[in-house]
Amino acid sequence: MNAAATSGTFREARAAWPAIAFLFVFFALPVGALMLRSVTDPQWGLQNFSDLLATGTYARVLFNTFLVAAVVTLMSLLIGYPLAWLLVMLPARWQQVLLAILLMSMWTSLLARTYAWLVLLQKTGVINRILLSVGVIDAPLPLVNNLTGVVIGMTYIMLPFVVLPLRATLATLDPALMHAGAVCGASPWRLFRSVLLPLSLPGIGAAGLMVFVMSLGYYVTPALLGGTGNMMLAELIAQTVQSFLNWGLGAAAALVLLCATLALYALHMRYLDEDA
Amino acid sequence: MGVKIKRLLGAAILAIGATSGALAEDSITFTSWGGTTQDAQKAAWADKFEAEYKVKVLQDGPTDYGKFKAMVDSGQVDWDVVDVEPDFAYQAAKMGLLEPLDFSVIDKKDIDPRFVFEHGIGSFYFSFVLGYNPQAIGDQVPTSWADLFDTAKIPGKRTFYKWASPGVLEIALLADGVAPDKLYPLDLDRAFAKLDSIKKDILWWGSGAESQQQLASGEAPLGMFWNGRIYALQKEGAPVDAVWEQNLATADFLVVPKGSKNKEAAMKFIALATSAQGQADLANATAYAPVNLKSEALLNKDLVPLMPSQHAETQITLDLNYWAEHRDEIGKRWYDWQAK
Repeated sequence: MNAAATSGTFREARAAWPAIAFLFVFFALPVGALMLRSVTDPQWGLQNFSDLLATGTYARVLFNTFLVAAVVTLMSLLIGYPLAWLLVMLPARWQQVLLAILLMSMWTSLLARTYAWLVLLQKTGVINRILLSVGVIDAPLPLVNNLTGVVIGMTYIMLPFVVLPLRATLATLDPALMHAGAVCGASPWRLFRSVLLPLSLPGIGAAGLMVFVMSLGYYVTPALLGGTGNMMLAELIAQTVQSFLNWGLGAAAALVLLCATLALYALHMRYLDEDA
Repeated sequence: MGVKIKRLLGAAILAIGATSGALAEDSITFTSWGGTTQDAQKAAWADKFEAEYKVKVLQDGPTDYGKFKAMVDSGQVDWDVVDVEPDFAYQAAKMGLLEPLDFSVIDKKDIDPRFVFEHGIGSFYFSFVLGYNPQAIGDQVPTSWADLFDTAKIPGKRTFYKWASPGVLEIALLADGVAPDKLYPLDLDRAFAKLDSIKKDILWWGSGAESQQQLASGEAPLGMFWNGRIYALQKEGAPVDAVWEQNLATADFLVVPKGSKNKEAAMKFIALATSAQGQADLANATAYAPVNLKSEALLNKDLVPLMPSQHAETQITLDLNYWAEHRDEIGKRWYDWQAK
């Protein structure tokens, strides 16, 4: 981005002032006020942060949060990439059908979808019953109330957030590049590795970051599909506020999460800038 | 355009101000846990209160202690009567979050003395019972809390209440052979050691609906439950049963947050809710027991055997004063242990 373009966009951004003011009043201020409580509630100081780190629980939960977010991001990309490619390659009519299915899942209540997974995955659920009756397994698989359940449920929810940006990236690629590669005798795998993948990297980065950051703060799905051993940070924050009435400690936990997220975002921006 | 928007905004703000002013005068807000219990509370108390006093009762929920404290701290109290768990009622009273009840309006003469104190009065009286699903459990049927910890006798997952709150630790100690009169002060080391012995077989339920889902589906063929949730399952035809041996009794409490704008109406509402009729109506809808001793005559005879009040002989009452004293300390240890 050069300086002229920046100032141009800045001038044009005037139309966005009401939106920015709205965000400031209803988002930035309250979040700031909450963050402030991490050092003022119950008194000035860093005691909330030392409380937070006094036991291994917080570190364990933090580690678990990042682990789940990483696994979910990876799974979403692995499933979402082929799906996005399919969306680009299909004839227009089928594209719309597939897109509708994808979007429809987004419009259904998160809670309803999570409960649906509970019904599917539990010991007496549809999946285990089918596998049992077919004889693939002898005893029901533990698919829920553990890490597996959380990853399945969250990957499903995150899928549209991977597929939509990736599709946008892939749709802008010139098909002639692939043709050229094929004419020169490249195998499909080689075409993917040397042409498609490098060209779609920015899209993968953006989609991956979005899913990773969204996953870090997820609450409902891990709470319902996970066990207490897989607790994520959002649940811990809810616990400190609701159970211990300790807003200061909750704010401290939230602040750490926010900083981690911002750091990741900064890293990503830098990486993208170098890339461009 | 700008002016128009300003006018519109102004009008909207005025409208909001006007309605909230109107609401403050002739309505109160009752907050409870949602679901079938709050529906029953609305039918038994709120609808009658509206008819009698011409004051609207707005329903809100679910009860959220973080929100509760934030309201009182900020002085912006939107709730007037709140249904809370017993340990919270006692702790909140100690923290100065509650209005004292006005016993010149609320008649406490006939209230079970276990379930009334200066800042709170029983909403309904319930027990933790051992529930099981005979179709999912195999040949052995549990008969005591000890069986809940005996995975050799009865294999499979067992489900427990997820939050740090009176109940689970007491059950672990009883299962380990502690005599009921020696329960308090709780031997936490012993309780957690007992829980450790079956930790990998424990499922947790965070809400009543979740507990019902786990038991009815057989995901957890046995566990600890609120007695009313077992009754609700039976009413729907689910094949579940309860063991009442050493059932653990306590009550939800009705409290008034400090700074409630409709204190007088709130007291009248609580008076109606804890009257013999109000308590009997709620009990007949839920199979939770009344806290008013005079309600007995008004109860549905078919339901009485399913109520905690009929299982008093082996009943143990949870010690709420102990919990008010140690709630935070136990909570910390509880969640650390759970997350391990």
